[in-house]
This record gives sequence, structure tokens and C-alpha cells, in this order.
Amino acid sequence: MTSLEFDPAATAGMSTPSEPVATESGRAGLATWRVFRREPLGIASLVILALLIVVAIAAPLLAPYPASYGSDVLKPPSLQYVFGTDSLGRDVLGEVIWGTQQSLLVAIAASVIAIAFGTLVAVLGAYFKKLDGFISVIVDLTLSLPVLPLMILVAALVGPSTATIIAVVAAFSWPEVTRLVRSQALTIVNLPYVDAARLMTTSPLWIISRHIVPAVTPVIVVSVVVTASRAVLSAAGLAFLGLGDPTTWSWGRILYEAQQSGAMSSAWWLTLFPSIAILLLVLSATLLSIAYNDARNPRNRAR
Amino acid sequence: MRKRSLVIATLAASVALTLSACAPSAPPEASSSAAAAGNDTLTIATTTDVVNYNPLIGNSRSDYWITNLMYPHLMSIDDTGKKTPELATEWGYVDDTTGYYVIRDDMKWSDGEPVTAEDVAWTMNAVKKDAPSGTFYGQLANFDSATAVSDTRVEVKLSKPDSSIIEEIGFWGNVVPKHVFEKAASVAEFPNDGSDGGWVGAGPFTLTKVQVGQSYELDRVEDYPLVDGGTPIPAKVVYRVFPDVNTEILALQSGEVDAIANALPPAQVDQLKNSPGITVEEVTGLGYAHMTYNMQNPDLAKLEVRQALAHAVDYDAIRTVVLQDQAVSTGSSPLMPVLSDYYDDSLTEYEFDTDKARELMEKAGYTADANGNFPVSFRLIYSLQDSVTSQWAQLVKDSAAEAGITIELQGTERNTYLAQTNKGDFDIYAGNFAIMDDPVTNFTLAYLPGGAINYTYVDDPQLNDLIAQGAVTSDQDEKIDIMRQAAKIVHDNVYDNIMYTQNLFFAHSDKWDGFITQPSELLSIVNPESLASAHKVQ
Repeated sequence: MTSLEFDPAATAGMSTPSEPVATESGRAGLATWRVFRREPLGIASLVILALLIVVAIAAPLLAPYPASYGSDVLKPPSLQYVFGTDSLGRDVLGEVIWGTQQSLLVAIAASVIAIAFGTLVAVLGAYFKKLDGFISVIVDLTLSLPVLPLMILVAALVGPSTATIIAVVAAFSWPEVTRLVRSQALTIVNLPYVDAARLMTTSPLWIISRHIVPAVTPVIVVSVVVTASRAVLSAAGLAFLGLGDPTTWSWGRILYEAQQSGAMSSAWWLTLFPSIAILLLVLSATLLSIAYNDARNPRNRAR
Repeated sequence: MRKRSLVIATLAASVALTLSACAPSAPPEASSSAAAAGNDTLTIATTTDVVNYNPLIGNSRSDYWITNLMYPHLMSIDDTGKKTPELATEWGYVDDTTGYYVIRDDMKWSDGEPVTAEDVAWTMNAVKKDAPSGTFYGQLANFDSATAVSDTRVEVKLSKPDSSIIEEIGFWGNVVPKHVFEKAASVAEFPNDGSDGGWVGAGPFTLTKVQVGQSYELDRVEDYPLVDGGTPIPAKVVYRVFPDVNTEILALQSGEVDAIANALPPAQVDQLKNSPGITVEEVTGLGYAHMTYNMQNPDLAKLEVRQALAHAVDYDAIRTVVLQDQAVSTGSSPLMPVLSDYYDDSLTEYEFDTDKARELMEKAGYTADANGNFPVSFRLIYSLQDSVTSQWAQLVKDSAAEAGITIELQGTERNTYLAQTNKGDFDIYAGNFAIMDDPVTNFTLAYLPGGAINYTYVDDPQLNDLIAQGAVTSDQDEKIDIMRQAAKIVHDNVYDNIMYTQNLFFAHSDKWDGFITQPSELLSIVNPESLASAHKVQ
């Protein structure tokens, strides 16, 4: 999806010189929110994401944990089983609801790791010019790797578990973050106020943490969402290939089990509902990041 | 059966009922009424490429299905595990350490050379010498040498008495053309990939065209005496490679292929039986699915703990739900009902009773905590490629939890699983074997110390003695009696927990008829005799 995806770096890069920076974050944040709440797509995405999070947290209240088997095998959706049942007679609705937990956990954990690491590498590269060349090469190299086969390889060698999935997805997502953040940080580093800060302290740590990181935060926010949605897709992809955690419900696992049991050709409900859940999460995350990016760009603020 | 790759392969599988045991194989006569050799192409779906064209080397399902059409076996097998004539017409023992085969004199290799006893003897000796990894070599433990005493008679010298080996070699071993294979320095390294002027076989079809990842085309051999009329009916057999069983089913429904070589998943059987244009054939299972408890684990070395685990499995639920009633209980005995001569109905299945399991755990000296859980945890391994086992592993875990015993599931990709299995890196092993046709051979491999599939790591002197006796006993009734005693020891000590024999279902287009079923996914409806007799419905 990379090439088609909306690329915050491009937008951000072009408009950087006039960007509001950390010093006015309070007012800027408020202004962004004012614009954002007038974007129906953005609000709708936010609501959907919030709903998914509620579903994940409230899973025990919404549906019992899918039993190990049931007597009604491969029943189509009905009033009793709203999403139908799978080849072991388990309720697909319960699987999708409990799968939300795992999918969101992977999304959040993997993107937090990728963002933290990716941002760190990016600002270090932007600030210390000597490191930049080396870091850029590593990032370009990692970005040019065939990610899915490598993920499959690692997951297969280490053995499937939730921690593996998170680590694998994070390990292959950070270069994207680094690239986005670095392009933003490079322009920030050259701004006069950073030069001014250099006069006040010799501590790069202080300058980076107080002046550069806050200035790239908007890009980070956008890439959190984009990375999270990519993590969901990767995790679902790995789970579908049988490299997910076989003991925890995830949307990818529902698809994987449908495929394994040979039920895909006949039981449409097994694939439709988890796919819709994945679509909702990824689409709303992407739309949210676009809406947020538009909203925080002062040029788009019709006052 | 010993070659795990063949065997565990059967995993994906599906099943049938007890009834299937009596489901008749289509009698050969059925096909004679239909057309003689025509111009039709029979297209069959598979899910894997051929990795190895050399039938002497351990191989995958596609390898087996395709090489099996070119390299004959001395014997085939019927629905009760009895060996039936194929290339050999007669076999037996001259004395304790000498066996013999008499072979047909009318078989020819596809290049016109006759199939002779010399080919048979040369193949056996070459396999013994070069030790290709595979089932065939695994059968040759007590084999010393083979000699062609005439064009049609082979005599086999044994290094020690073994009353099973003649039939086991005959069934598991292929015969390859000496004049082609002897050019290779070692049969274990001969790729046989057709690069040297194509393939030379003696089956009903010979491979002619390969498109890796796409299809394998085999052309009819005009003269094949094992089929009625002497000529295989389809002009061509084409194996096409599909990504998985879902796409295979769609291809069958759309008429793109005429049959699916892989067994149907249990949950799909009813649905396909009711699909217009599709016929579902039932094939008797000759293997079993089981769990073994690794006795190197000090907890599992205690009989009561193994018994507790065995009583904490809801076997009925597994067979009803996961296998959709397509599996038969073996009475928790390695002598399955399908081996009707050996089956002993006095052995009954471990009863599902979690209270009893708890009592046994207490008797073994464990005390449950406030939540009713015993301070033990066992790691159960299975292959994720085996969808049926993957499904019941979860049921095993849940029912054991009711008895206060924690089971941690560790499903892994197949190669990892095989590596773990070989290293004994597990507490509980779950898996299955496609064909366990001969009790003595199977017990030797599964229960003798050092046996290739002794996943329990059992070493019971009394059991060892019985198996050794069984191996040298040629009197059938005496042998059956000895093996029953051995099975009772295995059952009573939970050295193995055999859960069911799964009967398999295979789908083909109703435009084709005349298939002849043989047991297991390896033979099913794609065995040479069946494909040679298949014909379009007029």
C-alpha cells in the first residue's frame, strides 16, 4: 500500500517553513481541533476508531469468549448467530469481537515501538550530520527489502506468538517513520531558533528533546496512525499465513482458519466479517490521519 | 508407516464413517462396461509441486501421486490392510531368513524394455547400499540382499528372521528401471528429473511435460496389463497446482478440474455431497491420529498422570465436531478396527471423566490449589499445517483445564514441528500417520527403544519381548495373539493415546466414473489402477 498511500512527508516538507512550532502548541492544537471537527470524514473515522477501542476493552461484556466448539457447524448468519458460525460451530461474532483486542493490541504496540525507534533514529540523523549518511543508507536498505517474505521468515523461525508478531511488524515499520520524521526534522534543525538554542546549551539531548521532537510531533501523530493501520494489515496477513498466535483470537486467525478448513468457497460469512473489521480500522485510521493533517495545516484554515 | 513426510502429510484431511469399512471399492468390472481407451484428458488438482522425481527418496504428496503412476510397487493394499498383487503375483518365505517374490512377465518399461526380476533385485540392493532417506529404506533394517534367480523370481536374504518384511518392502518399495537408474553413482542422489531424455516408467502413465508451479502432464502408456483391456482409458492425466483446498474446490465446481487429489476437509464433505455435478468418494482410513506423552518428563513418567491426561479428553466431541463423525474410535488401541484380524474389542476407549482424572492426579501425589489447578503444565506440539489436529488440540487443552491440568499449546509450522518431534522437544505430541498397515512393523518403530516414531520414549521390557516375538512368529494366529497382548500393555500403560482412524473423502466431477478407491490419501482415487480405469460418463 505504500505507494498509493497519502504521504505526510510530501505535504509536510513543502509547507514546513510556515508551520507553527511547539511554542504555540496550545493555540495551534485548539485551532486544529476547530478545523478538524468540521471534517465529517475525520469525525466519522474518529468515532469508528473510538468504537473499535470500546469493543476491544468491553469484549467480555459484549460476547462470551468463543467456546472450543459448538454443535451448529457452518451456520449462516441468523438471529441466533448474527455473524454465523465457523467449522467448529463457534460464534463468528464472538471471534470478531475478541479479535479486536488482539488486532488493536498489535497495532498499538507495534506502532509505538516503531515510532519510538524510528523517531529517535530520525532526529539523531537530522541533528548529527555525520550519522545522517549512515542512517539514510540503513533506512533505504531496509525499505528496499521484501518485507513480507522477511516477516514470514522471522515469524516462522521464532515461532508464532503475539510478541513475535509485534516485534516483527515493528522491526519492519520503523524505517517508514524514520523517513517521514527525518525529512521534517532536517528543516527544523536549520531553523534560526535551533541555532539560538545551540547558543544556550551544549547538550544535544536538551535541544533534541525540547525543540526538535516537539516540532516534529504532528508528523509523528500522522505516522502513528498510518503505522498502526499497516501493523493491522501485516498482522492479519501473517495470521492468515498461519504465522499468527494460534491460541489468541485475531481477525487474521479467523481468515486463516476459514482457509484451513476449506470453508472459504462456501461460507462467505467467515471471511466477510473479519475483513470488514480490518477495512474499518485501516480505512478510518488513514482517513483520520488525512483529516488531521489537513486540519493542522494553517493554509487550510478558513477563518 | 515410517516416512513422516508422507504420513503427516495426510493431515489436512477429512474423513468417513465406520460404514466406510464396508464401502465397496468399485469392482474392476464396473469400468469394463464403459468405453475403452479414448482421447480424454483427466485433470486433477493438487496443492504442491513435485519436489522429487526419484520415488526412492522420501517425498511429499504430489511426489508420491505422480511417481506412483510411473514406478510400480510389488503389492498394493486393500481396505483391511491386506496386501494385494500388483507387480508381484505371489510372495512368501522359503525359510526363516529367505523370502521370495514372483513377478508378472508382461510388464514393460515405457522405453520397451521388459520389467524383470533383475530390476526388482537391483532396486532393493541399491536402496540398501545408498540409503536414500525414505520409507523404503526404513523397511530394510533386516534386509541383507536380493537376487534375481530367474526373470520372474526374486529371492531376498534377511539378516535375521522377520515375518513382516516381505510384505512391507513389497508395499512400500517402488521398482525402478535398472538400465536408467544404474547410470547414477547413487540412487539417493539421482534427481530423475527427466533432463536426460525424459522419464522411463512402467505405470499406466508417463510424465512428459512439466511446468513448475502450474502443471504436470502424463501421457498414457498403451500397454498396461493391470487395467481391464490392457490400455489405460484417459489419454492424458494432468495434475494442476492450486494454492489451497478452497481454490481446488472452486476449480472443481467450475469444471476446471475433474478431481481433487487432496482429501476434503471434514466440514466440506456434506456440502460437496449436496453440490450438483460433484461426486464424493469415501476412502477407508488405514492410519490413526494420536497423542503421545513424553516419558522423559518426570511428571509424565508417572502412569497416573498419563492416565489422568487420557481421561481428560472428550474423544466423542472431537470425533463429532472436528471430524464431523467421519472418524472411528480404535478403543484407544494401536490395533485399529480396520485391521480386522488384529482388532481386539475387549480394549475400550479411555472414558472422558474429569473427576476421575482429578482422582488420578491426587493419587499421583499432586494437590490442587484453591482454583482446583494442579501444579503441572504440559506443552503440546502440533503442526499448523494439519488443520484437523490444530482444531482438536484446542479441545484437548480446554477439557484438560476442566480436570485442573494445564496444557500449553504450541502449534508451529510443519518443519519446526518435525524438528521438535525428532529432538523430543515436547511434553505431549499430537499428530497422525496415514498408513499403519502392519502391527509388528508399527510397534517396532513406535514402542521399541530407539524406534523412529517412539515419541513416548517408552522402554518396557515386557513390551519389547512381545514385539520381538511377534517379529519372528510366522504363524498368523500366534502372531495376532502376541500383538494383542502388546496392544493391551500399550493401552493399559497409556504408552500411546490413539484417538481415532479417520476415513477420508475425495471429490471428483460426476462427468467421470470408474475410479477405484484404495485406503489413505496416498492412494485414494488417484492410485494407478484407479486413474487407468477412470472414464468419462457416456
